[in-house]
Amino acid sequence: DSHVQYERVGADVTMKCGSMDWDAAVTWTANGTDIDESHLNGSYLILKNVDLSQSGQYSCYEGSSWHLKYQTYLRVGTPPKEPVLMCRSNNYPKGFYCSWHLPTPTYIPNSFNISVIHGTKDMVCEKDAIPKNRCHIRYLQLFSTVKYKVTLTVTNPLGKNFTTLTFDEFAIVKPDPPESVVAKPVPNNPRRLEVSWQNPSSWPDPESFPLKFFLRYRPLILDQWQHVELSDGTSHTITDAYAGKEYIIQVAAKDNDIGTWSDWSVAVHATPWTEEPKHLTTEAQIAETTSASTSSFMAPPTTKICDKGAVVGSGAMAVCWTAGLVMAAYSVLFI
Amino acid sequence: MAAADSPSAALRRDLCSRGIRLAGKMRADVVDLLDAYVEQQGLDPSASVAAMDGVPLAAVERWDEQTGTQRLLENLAAYRAFRALLAQMLEEQREQLGEADAGLGRALAAVLLQVSAFAYHLEELLRLESRGIPGEEEEEEEDGPPPLPRLSLFEQKLRGLGVLRELAQWALRSVRDLRQLAKPSPAPGTAPGLADSP
Repeated sequence: DSHVQYERVGADVTMKCGSMDWDAAVTWTANGTDIDESHLNGSYLILKNVDLSQSGQYSCYEGSSWHLKYQTYLRVGTPPKEPVLMCRSNNYPKGFYCSWHLPTPTYIPNSFNISVIHGTKDMVCEKDAIPKNRCHIRYLQLFSTVKYKVTLTVTNPLGKNFTTLTFDEFAIVKPDPPESVVAKPVPNNPRRLEVSWQNPSSWPDPESFPLKFFLRYRPLILDQWQHVELSDGTSHTITDAYAGKEYIIQVAAKDNDIGTWSDWSVAVHATPWTEEPKHLTTEAQIAETTSASTSSFMAPPTTKICDKGAVVGSGAMAVCWTAGLVMAAYSVLFI
Repeated sequence: MAAADSPSAALRRDLCSRGIRLAGKMRADVVDLLDAYVEQQGLDPSASVAAMDGVPLAAVERWDEQTGTQRLLENLAAYRAFRALLAQMLEEQREQLGEADAGLGRALAAVLLQVSAFAYHLEELLRLESRGIPGEEEEEEEDGPPPLPRLSLFEQKLRGLGVLRELAQWALRSVRDLRQLAKPSPAPGTAPGLADSP
């Protein structure tokens, strides 16, 4: 006969060869490989302090005829530790979900059973197909002061464990992060960035259950975030950005009245608008080179220094008041 | 694009907005009062309190299916009950504690004032919808809130905890209810707001 046998890591395991007598001549194999006689006590197979690598198929054959007398699949594992359970409502007021996992693997199959009680009423938590370790519940009542009690029990052939969560309806409300966050420079504004986003698509009724938002931003070169809390709207203009610096921006959401903040959204990057650098013509380059090596001041041709009405003198020596002062300053410098 | 608001629709929206602010402020104050109450009365903040006679429960099934009128009437009935309950709590507080918890007494009185104001605000909304306002005296004669039994000191404290918890939830529910009421009427040409449909 053949069956599955579960044993704890570190246990000593004795396998009998079916109904064979203790003193019968037998051969044991593990996954098709003969097992050394040193592991035998008569016809019994003795495995001491088993570890995970000893999981496998064990077969016992009668000595002379090689008839298969017994077969078992040994699964070495551990009983479950206390499971980790989390419940959250990201679609308030429709309902909430609970998800769970084991802190350490057991290496053998586990089954999970979840119970939800609201006051004296048992509620059904419908298992999700994907992921498997999750179930969801519809709220039958809203605004209740009666707490929910969720108990998750995990069982495997080596033992069981459980954990319980007790919470208020409003305490577990946590939206998903905002979606479609976009940040754009504002033309001709070197210190502004326009940020927009959308409500998370899982939030069913933002009109009746509005969200508020928290925006954080910083230039990549700095570690400190700036924060802005916004009670309505799904856009914001940053007005104090450092010119020319690339920014990283994220947004979080929270129900206006209850619950906790969502995780931060996916980060977006943006750099404020900067003026295009001016193209230098050949004449201008020469003019600049000349002005650098002489004491006279010559304005680049595109630069407007003064209005026409402020000009004094005439002809080649026509200068305006402003230019005159600059030249005077230069003259003093080079005396 | 919706047509320009009628004056009554604009007034309804204004009353709802103000009501939302009132209820929000009231909730914040009730939550603070609840924390102070639990501490000063020596109660376990996680203690469960069974539903008590005369304390209106905020819990509701099929909340999203309620009509506007239902919302207003249920809110009004609740806040009228809270007005009486808080008045009694205040009286008990004064009898028992004297000066020691004057701060708690003042906080209770402030919340009582807000509850009264909010009840009046709800009456205004009902008047706007030309709905009859249920008379308090008439209700008392017919069904009457049950006479509040003389409770032990510990029972009084527990009831107070229950009252404040339910009031906090009612304030939250009122914010949500008023947001529903403030929504524009779905069908053009119908009476604004509180037609007897969800």
